[in-house]
Amino acid sequence: MTKPRRAYLAALIGIALLAAAIPLVVRAQQTDRAKRIGGKLMCMCGCGQVLTQCNHINCPFSGPMMKELDARIGSGDSDDLIIQAFVQEYGEAVLAEPPSKGFNRLAWYLPGFAFAMGLGIVVLAIRQWRSRRLSRAAAPAAPVSDELLERARKQADRETEES
Amino acid sequence: MGACLDLFGSFALLLAFVCAIYAMVAGILAIRTRKPLLVKSARQAGMAVCGLIWIAFGSLVYLFFSDSYWMAYVVEHSNRALPGFFKVAAVWSGQQGSLLFWSFILSIYVFSVLFVYRGKHPELMPYVGVVLAGVQLFFLMLNNFVASPFHVLGAPGPAGALRMASMPDGNGLNPLLQYHEMVVHPPMLYSGYTGFTIPFAFALAALLGRYPGEKWIHLTRRWTMIAWGFQSIGILMGAHWAYAVLGWGGYWGWDPVENASLMPWLTGTAFLHSVMMQEKRGMLRVWNIWLVFTTFLLCIFGTFLTRSGVVSSVHAFAQSSIGQWFMGFLIVVIAVCLVAFLKNRDYLRSDNQLDSMVSRESSFLFNNLILLVACIAVISGTLFPVLSEWVRGTKISVGPPFFNRVNIPIALFLLFLTGVGPLLAWRKTSTESLKRNFGWPLLGGFAAMIVAIAFGLRDFYVSLCLLLSVFVVLTIGSEFYRGARVIASRTGANLLSAVGQLTMRNTRRYGGYVVHFGIVLVFMGICGQVFNRDKQMEMPPGASMQLGPYTLVCQNFDSTPEPNADAPNYTAERATIEVDRDGKQEMMLYPERRLYASNQESGTMVAIYSTLKEDVYVVYAGRSNDTGQPVIHAYLNPLVKWIWLGGVFVILGTLLALLPNSQPVLVVRAATQPAASGAQPAVARITRPEGHD
Repeated sequence: MTKPRRAYLAALIGIALLAAAIPLVVRAQQTDRAKRIGGKLMCMCGCGQVLTQCNHINCPFSGPMMKELDARIGSGDSDDLIIQAFVQEYGEAVLAEPPSKGFNRLAWYLPGFAFAMGLGIVVLAIRQWRSRRLSRAAAPAAPVSDELLERARKQADRETEES
Repeated sequence: MGACLDLFGSFALLLAFVCAIYAMVAGILAIRTRKPLLVKSARQAGMAVCGLIWIAFGSLVYLFFSDSYWMAYVVEHSNRALPGFFKVAAVWSGQQGSLLFWSFILSIYVFSVLFVYRGKHPELMPYVGVVLAGVQLFFLMLNNFVASPFHVLGAPGPAGALRMASMPDGNGLNPLLQYHEMVVHPPMLYSGYTGFTIPFAFALAALLGRYPGEKWIHLTRRWTMIAWGFQSIGILMGAHWAYAVLGWGGYWGWDPVENASLMPWLTGTAFLHSVMMQEKRGMLRVWNIWLVFTTFLLCIFGTFLTRSGVVSSVHAFAQSSIGQWFMGFLIVVIAVCLVAFLKNRDYLRSDNQLDSMVSRESSFLFNNLILLVACIAVISGTLFPVLSEWVRGTKISVGPPFFNRVNIPIALFLLFLTGVGPLLAWRKTSTESLKRNFGWPLLGGFAAMIVAIAFGLRDFYVSLCLLLSVFVVLTIGSEFYRGARVIASRTGANLLSAVGQLTMRNTRRYGGYVVHFGIVLVFMGICGQVFNRDKQMEMPPGASMQLGPYTLVCQNFDSTPEPNADAPNYTAERATIEVDRDGKQEMMLYPERRLYASNQESGTMVAIYSTLKEDVYVVYAGRSNDTGQPVIHAYLNPLVKWIWLGGVFVILGTLLALLPNSQPVLVVRAATQPAASGAQPAVARITRPEGHD
């Protein structure tokens, strides 16, 4: 075999291998994409799991939904378009998390609001308790009664006891 | 004998109900009149209630084991071929049986409390007895009149009259519950739920009776820890059951039933921490009382959620009207708590003072804040679909992605506090102490994170979790090391035995550290999730699948067409999968799909090859509709074992914290001045450096 022929053959084999590999790569990317999008959707069988995790035997929903997802990915639809199509077909309940708009914002903001409120209360309480402490410390020392001394002793015991 | 046990059981329940009314009324009268005889009578009635519930529960267990298929509840949940081991689980697998089981476990707690404190705390115990009897009364009302497990089957007889009927066999137990863990998981979880009744009863009793001081806190600390420990075991076992049985490769799906168990656990954890503020400093009296109330209310609320059908869940009991009863009880309890609080709030007045922002007290406040926010996030996520449907008329889902996104930052902040809190001193921590205690652990955390990033770790949350986990482990380690070193230097003991001495000297504190270590392991295990991989393919015999470093080869595929001695209750299809690594066989796995003859339901049995590094998790997913070939779904789940191992440490730590402290060791210290002739050598307790509790 002459050199140019050999090179030609090698190039042909290379192209053939590449052509064979491309669908595999595309398929792998598709599968990853299907997993990613499927992770944003709920299985509608009522199992409460995301689409890619429902493994109910003979589940009437997860199989067809996954097939539909694969078909839409195969036809080149964007992520948003695919999700919209599922919402139109199954309603808003198909989304694994509520979209952050309108009334649904409440679900997203509530924990943050609770945290902010709680933080405010904690900081205020700490400031108030500290100032109470400081004002007590600044007050002129009054004669210490036996009862007060006993109470202080008990408190000291309590605070230093091994528990 | 079995034929009259249903009557025996229902009569015992009815008598228990009457006794509970008496215990409550007599208790109230005893509080008003202060007659010792009435106090004793109320207490003994309370104990009798427990004994009668045990008789009723024992009767139900016997009816299951004697295959009494004239009992509606037994027919629904058992069958002759069901192995005896699972008949135990069948007893509490339905609504009626589980409610009786609830009463049964509660009665064990109540009896223990009434027995242990008989004749003690005369100002407090009558109130406690009344509250406990009130809670028991509610459940006994359900057991007797709403969901009795002792109904017999009836059929129309001659002249239209009903006669007793009997079935040749029962419907069998739900396949998902035919797993050994299901015999242990519900008792653990119920012990957690019901256990929180005890601190609730003491808290309400102390408030109603204006019981002075922090005594009720001391009395209930161990009970709270027991309930918390059971709740922790229950939650983890539930997660393990979901992992090993449901076959979706995960262990926590943020299902409403799972969330229901987590909510009181979060507030209970907050209480276990904040209670120390009250014990040590007399602070947060109002807060602690309400934390206990909330924890109990969340136990009831969680039960309402899972039994009312308000939220949909695969784990929930069938929809029934029982939810209304729980809602009613919830309202009554809230009303009682509110009235008691408003009437006696002056009794809870505490002189809250804080020396510094950087102190143990502050860290507990933040710890409580974070735990409460986590609880609110879980509640709001669980209930939001109901709220949305109610307000907008639109059904929406709040699935795992929402909970993960909201709770991961909260959990990481909590992990940070787990490391920081124990090393801060009460009242005030100096800058020097901060540097000394946190410098090296923080450096170690950063070093671990940098190394992980250098090895390709790119996930932000996992990197942060690794940093914090290493930080917490190093702070815990340094606490043990520094304490043990002091003991070793003073007693001459080796470091290991000094660690033992140190731990036994303050079991609560060092037990707490062990629990914290367990929690770190759980966090690390959860982080492994980010790297999960899975693959599903048809695998006829001889086919192989590559999953990470493992090669799975389907060796065989067989089925048991008839039930046999090994599988008396079902037929099965089973794949034999060889797990190879680097050309060497590591393990044989046998994932199964079972078909239960009695109810024609099927279930999966996952096969898992578990190592500390990762789990090879293999599910036989049935036959392909197109080719008829067996389909195998395999997962590679890193670090899952760490979660279960973490659970073991949590339990060990809790048990350790329940042990009484050993006597403080007095150590002979070299006298700085010559002692007078005949005088005792100077002795001193080992002083604790700043940062210790």
